[in-house]
Amino acid sequence: MLEALFDGLGLILQWKAFSLMLVGMGIGFVIGLLPGIGGATTLALMLPFVFKMTPVEAFAFLLGMHSVAATTGDITSILFGVPGEGLSAATVVDGHPMAKRGEAARALGAALMSSLVGAVIGAATLAVSIPIVRPLVLTFGSPELFMITLIGIACITSLSGLGARAQIKGFAMGFLGLLLATIGQERQSGTLRFDFGLIYLWEGLDLIPVLVGIFAIPEIIDLAKRGTAIAGDRPAAVKLGAGVWEGIKDTFRHFWLVVRCSAVGVLVGILPGAGGGVAQWMAYAHAVQSAKDAKDREGFGKGDVRGVLGPGSANNSKEGGDLIPTIAFGVPGSGAMAILLGAFMIMGLMPGPDMLTKHLAVTYSMVWTLVIANVITVVLCLATLGHLAKLTRIRGNLILPFMLLLVFVGSYTANRQIADLLVTLAFGALGYVMVRLDWPRAPLVLGFVLGKLAETYLFISMARYGFSWLTQPLVLVLIALTVLVVAYPYIQERRHGVPRKVHAD
Amino acid sequence: MPTRARAAFSLFVAALAAYAVVSAWSWPSKAGLFPLVMGTALLALALVQFVLDLRSKAEAAQGAAAMELAPSAEVAPELARRRTVATFAWMAAFVVLVFLVGFSLAVPLFMFSYLMLQSSAGAWRSLALTAAAWGFFYGLFERLLRLPFGAGMIQTWLGL
Repeated sequence: MLEALFDGLGLILQWKAFSLMLVGMGIGFVIGLLPGIGGATTLALMLPFVFKMTPVEAFAFLLGMHSVAATTGDITSILFGVPGEGLSAATVVDGHPMAKRGEAARALGAALMSSLVGAVIGAATLAVSIPIVRPLVLTFGSPELFMITLIGIACITSLSGLGARAQIKGFAMGFLGLLLATIGQERQSGTLRFDFGLIYLWEGLDLIPVLVGIFAIPEIIDLAKRGTAIAGDRPAAVKLGAGVWEGIKDTFRHFWLVVRCSAVGVLVGILPGAGGGVAQWMAYAHAVQSAKDAKDREGFGKGDVRGVLGPGSANNSKEGGDLIPTIAFGVPGSGAMAILLGAFMIMGLMPGPDMLTKHLAVTYSMVWTLVIANVITVVLCLATLGHLAKLTRIRGNLILPFMLLLVFVGSYTANRQIADLLVTLAFGALGYVMVRLDWPRAPLVLGFVLGKLAETYLFISMARYGFSWLTQPLVLVLIALTVLVVAYPYIQERRHGVPRKVHAD
Repeated sequence: MPTRARAAFSLFVAALAAYAVVSAWSWPSKAGLFPLVMGTALLALALVQFVLDLRSKAEAAQGAAAMELAPSAEVAPELARRRTVATFAWMAAFVVLVFLVGFSLAVPLFMFSYLMLQSSAGAWRSLALTAAAWGFFYGLFERLLRLPFGAGMIQTWLGL
């Protein structure tokens, strides 16, 4: 096995494979900055180019591109409040307030370093777990997967802020998100739901226009209202690039949080269907839960670096997790992995036992690609972070049209439909009103991301087992875990003796 | 924000939930169960929030959602309102422009107009920034990814 590990490294360091990985990284870097064309779409677009490549070259190219897109998505999220990827929306919540405070470089440093740690943990998990992960994946049927989505939904307690009123609003928005996810044709019966006679809505609402609208437009409006640069009118004496090392140190100051959030990413990645959209929010919720007490928790949403570290690490570690079921069983963990599966077929490789025996060196070359691509990206980005952070000093009026282009071009490229622009605008208006009236946006997004999955897994569980699935041992454990996730902030407050009426009205 | 606005939004959410519940009743159980349950829960929470909004003063409601973007308060309300409306108007104008002339033309037209009229960036600077933005999007989508943008309504009418 060790020999195969080094063989894999040797394969990826061959000049052609390495060069192709660099080309893929370059494409992934630009794609990651733009909302809309996610890693999955880019993989699909680049698939025709791999026909003449060897398997190692093809996976170096594709995985180099895919893993870097997940890393650079955080850059626009932090600098402009525009999620560069569907997977990096959670970074906006604390990353952008840090940029507005003049700490863009620190936030970027923290996001990139935690991404690197996450990627390494994900890749290491992939390397060691392939032979042993089979029982875990096979244990998770629809009832267990439904319970995992419920745990994700339960994270709303941590995403809603403190106090009874905030919890009511948070859960209301979570349910609204779940309801929005039901728009379109129901998969089992074919019934059209909330389509208002519009063909556009038959497929349901796409995540990107919703996400970009609800997060980016309120930030853009706020920037336009202030009439200043993103970092405000801070004196020139404040060096924006000075925080890079602080951000890197933050990663190691909160190292165990980064490791735990990476583990969340790996676990969610392994489970089919859940994907990075879920992992980032669960990791963010975990970061919030890790606050010692109510006072420690108050900084979240206002620029707490832990809110950047959590999703940053989970986003990248889930790539390794995603690859595990894809390589070992041919069961893709996400849309991007389903496309990668296409690359396996093009290369004449069959995911499954062969990848763990005959083609083990190719499998390990993928592990190395994840690590090397992320190391190179992070080193290059760290070297230029000072300049990137300077973007937050440019006059708001000059940067605004670029932000608007990012928002609308990104939304459009998701499906290439004009109606997506209207959805972006509508959710932008909704997001703005929510911000003005103190309604939290994160639970709505979480509900929306999880809605389809929850309904599908619930339907399959009921059709297959009736109500008896509720008594399955693993389901019972997961129910207990769900209750714990909901109750944890309250237990924590009680344990630290903070009177609830301070926060609840 | 005044209590009235808070209560109105809660009522709006409750109305959405009520619509969802009523619609879900008429669907087959497979399709209706999930939205029915979610809609009912949302309706209950929104109504509770509506009552709370009516009963409590606006100041007391502040800070209920701690983990959110804090809107800037340092700008005079009238100026803030004007800038908000102007930004929404620019966004709407861009969407209309895309519909009429397609992305390829809308991007440079929007960029140049915004930079000239809203940013007062000056003609040369506006031209340079517009060229940079257009070059980036054209290079990425049309050349690298080979994802050409669709034509607008006007080009379609003219058969171009």
